[in-house]
Amino acid sequence: MPAIEVQRQMLPMLGSPNQGARFYNPELPATEPFVPGHRTCAGCGPSIQYRMTSKAAGDNTILVGPTGCMYVANSSYLCTPYNVPWAHTQIGSSGSFTAGVAAAYEAMIRKGKWKGTFPNIICEAGDGSASDIGLASVSGALYRNHDCLIICYDNEQYANTGIQASSRTPYGGMTTFSPPGPKVPEAKTLFPKDLARMMAAGHPHCYVATASVGYPIDLMNKVRKALNHKGAAFMMIYTPCQKGFVYETPRSIDLGRLVVESGLYPIWEWDPEKREFDYSFRPASMRPVSEYLKLQGRFGHLHAEHIATLQKFANQQWKMMNVAIPEALIKAADAKNLVDMASAEAAAAVAQTV
Amino acid sequence: MATATAGKKKTVRINGCVASAQAAKYADVDVIAAYPIRPYTATMMALAQMVANGELDAEYIVADSEHSQLSIAHGAASCGARVFTGSSGVGVQFAFELYSPISGARMPVQMMIADRTLDPPGDFGSEHTEALSTRDMGWLMGWSCDAQEAFDNHLMAYRIGEDPRVLLPQMVCQDGFFVSHITTDCELPDPGQVKEFLPPYKHPYPLDPRHPVSHGPQIMPEQGPPLQLERARAMEGAMPVIEEIHDQFARIFGRRYDPWLEEYMTDDAEVVFFLQGAHGVTARHAIRHMRARGAKVGMVRLRTYRPYPTEQVAASLSKFKVVGVIETNMGLGSVSSGGSLYAEAVAALYEVPKRPLVFSFMAGMGGEAIVMKEFYWMTNKMIEAQKRGKIEKRAHWVGFEE
Ligand SMILES: Cc1ncc(C[n+]2csc(CCOP(=O)(O)OP(=O)(O)O)c2C)c(N)n1
Ligand code: SF4
Ligand SMILES: [Mg+2]
Repeated sequence: MPAIEVQRQMLPMLGSPNQGARFYNPELPATEPFVPGHRTCAGCGPSIQYRMTSKAAGDNTILVGPTGCMYVANSSYLCTPYNVPWAHTQIGSSGSFTAGVAAAYEAMIRKGKWKGTFPNIICEAGDGSASDIGLASVSGALYRNHDCLIICYDNEQYANTGIQASSRTPYGGMTTFSPPGPKVPEAKTLFPKDLARMMAAGHPHCYVATASVGYPIDLMNKVRKALNHKGAAFMMIYTPCQKGFVYETPRSIDLGRLVVESGLYPIWEWDPEKREFDYSFRPASMRPVSEYLKLQGRFGHLHAEHIATLQKFANQQWKMMNVAIPEALIKAADAKNLVDMASAEAAAAVAQTV
Repeated sequence: MATATAGKKKTVRINGCVASAQAAKYADVDVIAAYPIRPYTATMMALAQMVANGELDAEYIVADSEHSQLSIAHGAASCGARVFTGSSGVGVQFAFELYSPISGARMPVQMMIADRTLDPPGDFGSEHTEALSTRDMGWLMGWSCDAQEAFDNHLMAYRIGEDPRVLLPQMVCQDGFFVSHITTDCELPDPGQVKEFLPPYKHPYPLDPRHPVSHGPQIMPEQGPPLQLERARAMEGAMPVIEEIHDQFARIFGRRYDPWLEEYMTDDAEVVFFLQGAHGVTARHAIRHMRARGAKVGMVRLRTYRPYPTEQVAASLSKFKVVGVIETNMGLGSVSSGGSLYAEAVAALYEVPKRPLVFSFMAGMGGEAIVMKEFYWMTNKMIEAQKRGKIEKRAHWVGFEE
């Protein structure tokens, strides 16, 4: 039997990528592939991202959910919020299970066993899955260029197991596996694995981008670009977790902007055609990291020197994106110009709530 | 029907690995997930060539690990694709996490295993320990003893596993080297026969955007018992289907296998070997020799290990005075301090009023051939036990004892 040509979707870009203020965009599709009523925490960044991503993708979509909060808290008691097909997979199987789904549709359509347009295939992997235990499987799927999108919803920790350090947890981040103490006052001593850049550098034929829930239209357009790209795509999306970051729940989107404005979460795209990074995304303003850190209990133990270390890190990120660093931020990288985040007791109290 | 289309069948000389690849081709698999490890690799090499030649239209995925192979298989089967994968030795265990999720999701993934000893010490020979270690994960499982049986078992396993009454994954095992790399005559069927025997795979609830379903959501403990019971029932419920499919296979292909046990020279036997896999071939030969010297010895070869044919094993083994279990697997610290076949054989016999004496032979470990001399020695041990009316010990290490 002659092979049947596989037809693929082309999703239009959304206008007004209004990066700054909160807004309503009438172009957004009405469809809700991810419906409310699940059991994630109030203000859960990963769920906000889930809704945006699935809205951007639309109904001809299959979702893959490796173990993590977006599986456990979403699909409780055999009741799930997914209005499109969804399957759980093992935490280390994010890339591989997704590859199987993509391969199945390639073969089934080509062999006339399934008729229709190739679906969007999206994997929603946590940072623990994507940067640690499932790293090889994600890399395998990207390398082999299956037509799919693998998202790392990055809440910078293993949230579902009760907040443990992952290789995405920032320097200074307190988790139950990286608590502060007299010997380790800064808590997490290592800097996060630059996962998205690894994926871009190692799989240059793929569309790779970073995004944040603070910029919904940018996020959704990148999801659509990633889906329109024929082949594999990878996105790493900043998704704050109030349980682990310890902040006031209405501030998820604010944090999604502050993390970018403070230079701690560079937003960029890797163009697989030009083989170039696109650093043209600019937040409305640039701020010292302390403005981002002070909203979160997980940084409550930091001393001036640790904050200075994080500011140096942020300044390096700005430099990497060819952004001139204002004098104020250079000053902010000197501990002499900074104060401790809070008293030791305040930090200890926060540790109890994690 | 069989004779009408039998015109295009042919007999070829191939080894077990190639027989497995041929079976996957005849089954028109959609997705293949490969990762290299000896000795099963040759199956994937053969399939790669078939795809490259355009003889088989399938997505051939070079996975990044066995864990990924099985996850790819899981994902693809969840969409309704027919999937083929495989492994050997430590590779089988690297994928261990996936066995329960795949059977729990009731995905009839097929996995070819060419057995290989686990590490240490990096030995290539056949031992069944790797596959047997997955025995309680909800996969149908059985051993072939030659290339033809391997080919046939692959087709039957797809047909059984994909049956809507069963929907379970299958491990189709063959001994590394003794089957996987020994060339024998193998009859390849007419494609029309396969078409008649094996309908296209159709999962009742695939991941299909037109009919959204959720696979594998979280449960609370109280939702566990019914789900686990359902999987247990699927295993038990497979038994009549297995018998039915073996009958159909015999009708269409003209080769009849007892689904559970092969009995060899057991009519008047008093002592029997109980084993599975390739050593059955040597055993048949040895039994003929020993019978010529007057020993009333036979063989019972287990063909299906999961679901375990408890009644059939009990009915068969209780006919004899002594049963010598040839293990070819390690059950370190197990009930017999030998292998793991013993425990289930003994358990199957427990309700039988007249039980035979049962003990294990630890033979062929590390993939060593079990030679005729050792079969004679084992036969003598069984005859001695029969005379004594009592076993000497539960497990004998063959070659290390007088
Ligand atoms: C093989 C395996 N190891 C460990 C776990 C335990 N586990 C369950 S959820 C989880 C956290 C996952 O973290 P991440 O991927 O970042 O997702 P998040 O919970 O943060 O959403 C872990 C480690 C598991 N389910 N499977
Ligand atoms: S713990 Fe964090 S990631 Fe998990 S549901 Fe709550 S807010 Fe979301
Ligand atoms: Mg996480």
